[in-house]
Amino acid sequence: MPHSRRTGLGRLSAYLQGKRMQVLTMVLVATGQAAAQTGGWLLVRAAIDNGIAKGDSRYLSVIVVIYLCVGAAGWVMSAILIRGLAGLGQGIVLGLRSDLFVHLTSLSLRYFSEQRAGWIIARLTSDVDALSDALSQGLPTLAANVVLLPTAIVAVFIVDWRLGMIAFIVLPPALILTRWFQRASSVAQLEVRERIATVTAHMAESISGMAIVQAFNRERAFQAEFDGYNLANRAANVRTQTLLSVFFPSIELLGLTSSAAVMLLGAHLYGEGEITIGTLITAMYLLQLVFQPLQELSDVYGQLQSAAAAMIKISSVLDAEPDIGDRPGAEPMPPIEGHLELDDIRFAYGDNEVLHGVSVDMPAGGCLALVGQSGGGKSTLAKLIARFYDPTSGAVRVDDIDLRDVQLGSYRRQLGVVLQDPFLFSGTIADNIRFARPDATDEQVRETAAAVGVDRIAARLHGGLDHQVHEGGAGLSAGERQLISIARALLADPRILILDEATSNIDRPTEIQIERALDRLLRGRTSVIIAHRLATVRRADEILVVDHGRVIQRGTEHELLAEDGPFRRLAHDLRAV
Amino acid sequence: MWPTLRRLLTLWKGEWRSVALGLACALAYTVLSLAIPILLQRAIDNAIVPKHGDPLLPYVAAAMALGLLRFGVNFTRRYATARIGVHIEARMRELLYRAYLQFPRAFFDRHPTGQVVSRATNDLFPIRYFIGWGMVQGIQSVLMIVGAGIVLGFVNAKLTLITALSVPPIGLVAWLFAHRVMPISRRVQVRKGDVTEAADEAVVGIEMVQAFGREDDVRARFTDKAEQVRDVVIEQAGVEARHLPGLFFLPSLSIAAVVFFGGRDVIAGNLSIGQFVLFNTILLQLAWPLESLGWIVNLAQRALASAGRSFAWIEQIDRLPEPASPAALPRGPQPIEFENVRFAYGDEEEVLRGVDLRVEPGEIVAVCGPTGSGKTSLLNLAARFYDPTAGRVLIGGVDLRDASLEDVRSAVSVVTQRPILFSVPLRDNLTIGRPDAAWDEVLAAAAAAGVAAFVDDLPQGYDTLIGERGVNLSGGQRQRVALARALLSGSGAIVLDDPLSAVDTETERTLVETVRPALLGRTVLVATQRLSTVSIADRAVVLRDGCVAEEGSPAELAAAGGDFTALFGDETIAA
Repeated sequence: MPHSRRTGLGRLSAYLQGKRMQVLTMVLVATGQAAAQTGGWLLVRAAIDNGIAKGDSRYLSVIVVIYLCVGAAGWVMSAILIRGLAGLGQGIVLGLRSDLFVHLTSLSLRYFSEQRAGWIIARLTSDVDALSDALSQGLPTLAANVVLLPTAIVAVFIVDWRLGMIAFIVLPPALILTRWFQRASSVAQLEVRERIATVTAHMAESISGMAIVQAFNRERAFQAEFDGYNLANRAANVRTQTLLSVFFPSIELLGLTSSAAVMLLGAHLYGEGEITIGTLITAMYLLQLVFQPLQELSDVYGQLQSAAAAMIKISSVLDAEPDIGDRPGAEPMPPIEGHLELDDIRFAYGDNEVLHGVSVDMPAGGCLALVGQSGGGKSTLAKLIARFYDPTSGAVRVDDIDLRDVQLGSYRRQLGVVLQDPFLFSGTIADNIRFARPDATDEQVRETAAAVGVDRIAARLHGGLDHQVHEGGAGLSAGERQLISIARALLADPRILILDEATSNIDRPTEIQIERALDRLLRGRTSVIIAHRLATVRRADEILVVDHGRVIQRGTEHELLAEDGPFRRLAHDLRAV
Repeated sequence: MWPTLRRLLTLWKGEWRSVALGLACALAYTVLSLAIPILLQRAIDNAIVPKHGDPLLPYVAAAMALGLLRFGVNFTRRYATARIGVHIEARMRELLYRAYLQFPRAFFDRHPTGQVVSRATNDLFPIRYFIGWGMVQGIQSVLMIVGAGIVLGFVNAKLTLITALSVPPIGLVAWLFAHRVMPISRRVQVRKGDVTEAADEAVVGIEMVQAFGREDDVRARFTDKAEQVRDVVIEQAGVEARHLPGLFFLPSLSIAAVVFFGGRDVIAGNLSIGQFVLFNTILLQLAWPLESLGWIVNLAQRALASAGRSFAWIEQIDRLPEPASPAALPRGPQPIEFENVRFAYGDEEEVLRGVDLRVEPGEIVAVCGPTGSGKTSLLNLAARFYDPTAGRVLIGGVDLRDASLEDVRSAVSVVTQRPILFSVPLRDNLTIGRPDAAWDEVLAAAAAAGVAAFVDDLPQGYDTLIGERGVNLSGGQRQRVALARALLSGSGAIVLDDPLSAVDTETERTLVETVRPALLGRTVLVATQRLSTVSIADRAVVLRDGCVAEEGSPAELAAAGGDFTALFGDETIAA
């Protein structure tokens, strides 16, 4: 790997580059605020020793006025800190979220088929939100107190070094305790994330499969399974909370121990006349300033922990290497003529080779049809042509250019792809048709819709083409979704059109209408069709019968029907009906 | 807001032991936290300042003893309340999930999966923090403020009044903060929801995004949503910056008052130095309770908002109505009747406009028609996924609305258009409708539906894990699993929605032969676009414009030259 994996903190700080001044300002402001807080108590010491003890009320008044000014300065700095850190923190969050999204959208389909969609989405949302919460609520508390802690400790030593020494006899146990807590709670937090992920995954799956859960009366079984995950998650959460519940009272107790020690030594020193009463009292106040931050940190600590755990998960996504990408120096794809060439293509998902050497040479404007049993490798071939994957060996060439040598985006923008179970985005039907060409006019959208028969289904919906589609196309039938996605591909005016069982849920007359529209609108464009209906593939210039990753027969419909081979068997079956 | 709070309190009451313990500990913690400074004050006044006063050690020892006690109390309070929060969160999630399982299809048509999931996961976190920390911490903060007032009042009433002058402005600032931050934090939630939606769509629809090379568009849209979140969070921080430091500075006004007025009292001999220290110590202890109040108010609002949304779903989504005394559906193959059935999704145009159809017991009827003609809707009514807007659907002469849902659904098995498989082994996917099915019956169904033909190619045969973490089956294979599952379920009626659309022609030919015998003796409705699938039916009906336009045996219809011929004509001639 060229550069070592960056840790969570390193990744986050990368977003602060170029903001050095702002970061510096925040550090200064936080220091100033801490100084104002500790300084206030040093003023109190002066008030006690020089004002109260000496009976000087004028001196007292002066100190109080200074105290108030220091307090006001603290107010202003605190306000600057909250606002400034929010700006910095949200800058980090935004940068991270966009980068994560850009990275995700450039990963190949392989990644998306290996990870659950819900899992990926959780990285973009709940994990980034956990980070955002920690940064926007936790960070000001953290920053203020992290600076306050050493400042207050230094102040105790300034007041009297002996008191400082005795006060911090509790430091070693405090450090050991903190270390233990960090280890134990990061393990526990990780378990919490795992458990909630299981809950989320189960829920997402049962919601998208609710029709079957209900149709087969499986509600109780699903409920029972869910209850199990939910209770496991609950138990994991209780464990992390138990750790928190032990840690912070312990810190509080250590704080009191420290105060007691200071009081015993201080009383002795005071009795010997070595220190003033004001010194003793101030030392005790300052100790409160030392232990108070730890208390406050307690309530943001949980947030910080879950942010750290979230960061680990986010990093796992950012560390996934895109396996399809532009080579350095890749050129944009010139306008495609459409000469399609597959040169002895092999392809494997993991160790499982699914294509064992497929070759095709289709001149520009030709129509290639793939038929054969499901699972035989037809869709994989189509995906290689669309460059969703790169072949393990061999090459896909368009107009004699290896697809790996061109910029991916410039190639794909000249494609039209329609899949069997097409995805519709939320928005209107027109928005969906316009997806690949956002600048298309309403007129163009209407024409395309009419050409493939979308206008007919839109007519029964409120708003026609402006009917709101729910995400995924819920409420529309599979055939309707296919029609819309064909209109989408058609409007994109693709140089190469790939139809992967794109009309399987569409009735034959509508399909004929679509074919006519394709012939008219995409005259001279290359197309790749996967279909099961014989009538659909008849018009192809070359039909490949694909079986177990090999082409077992090829030719035009006439040639294939003339041979005694698999195609004739297929055709015969249909004729028998 | 109040009804939501009342519902939350009802859940809270369910945990009353922990609640009582938490509150008792909060009270004890307050008392101890006030007692320790009083002890130290006594120590200063009686042991340290006088040259020959009391010995110091007993005071310190007593303070330490109280400190140990406070440790126990503090631990118990934190543990008990955190437990309540975690338990109530789990309970809310359980209630939501239970409700989801009963929601009608219409609900899931309208709400994206991501939203439904996050309502029962992320949305619940503020509730956990509020109930598990905020509520008792808030009560403890108030107790601490009141307790401090009482203690200080006893020590020196006049000085207490002077220091208390900063309390009204603190209250005002806290109230203003809560009031101003509420609408903004609501907007934060809405904007975050937008980001989730954008992420959800892009990830689920990634194939389309990449296929058309539209990455830059979706990135721009996503970044735009993310920027809106940033802007509104920063706006929220602005409100915090204007108010929260006030909560933090105003107490130091009180300390200044103690130093000034208290100091003069000490000089005048009206106040001991220990009491002077006590005042400051207690004021210092109030800083966090005061600051936390602002956070708690903010948290409470977020928690109530999200609880309100959750309760709205739990209580206000209409389930399909079930009769109080359901009629029993007769067993065995029964006729399915549609009587003048009309149906529309929500307030859209009618999809079915008066369908009359009787499927005889044991008859296989193919439902044909162009895309969007209402085939799926008709099938969905037979399984009672929806109720018709007018007319009746009957099985064995019983209106489906008069039977229990459970009864209807065990009488009717379905194969949905988009096959749904779960991330469990293949075996469990097959037996989902009848977990106790004998293994040879499973094998028979698998053979009839063509699952047996590919099961040997799977790494662990019937034990192969299906889905994203296991093996991804092809569309045709998934359909065959769904078909086998329905065949195995043993119900008297089966509804098949284009069950072989993704199956290749060669496999389909075999299936047509094996499925028909497996279906015999059951009443079957099968919607299809394929002539070969129609051939398994005894009778076909053609839907047009939401009505039955034609019916008859496939052979008759093919010869009739009507809608059916138009639908399949060129397939029959072509081959």
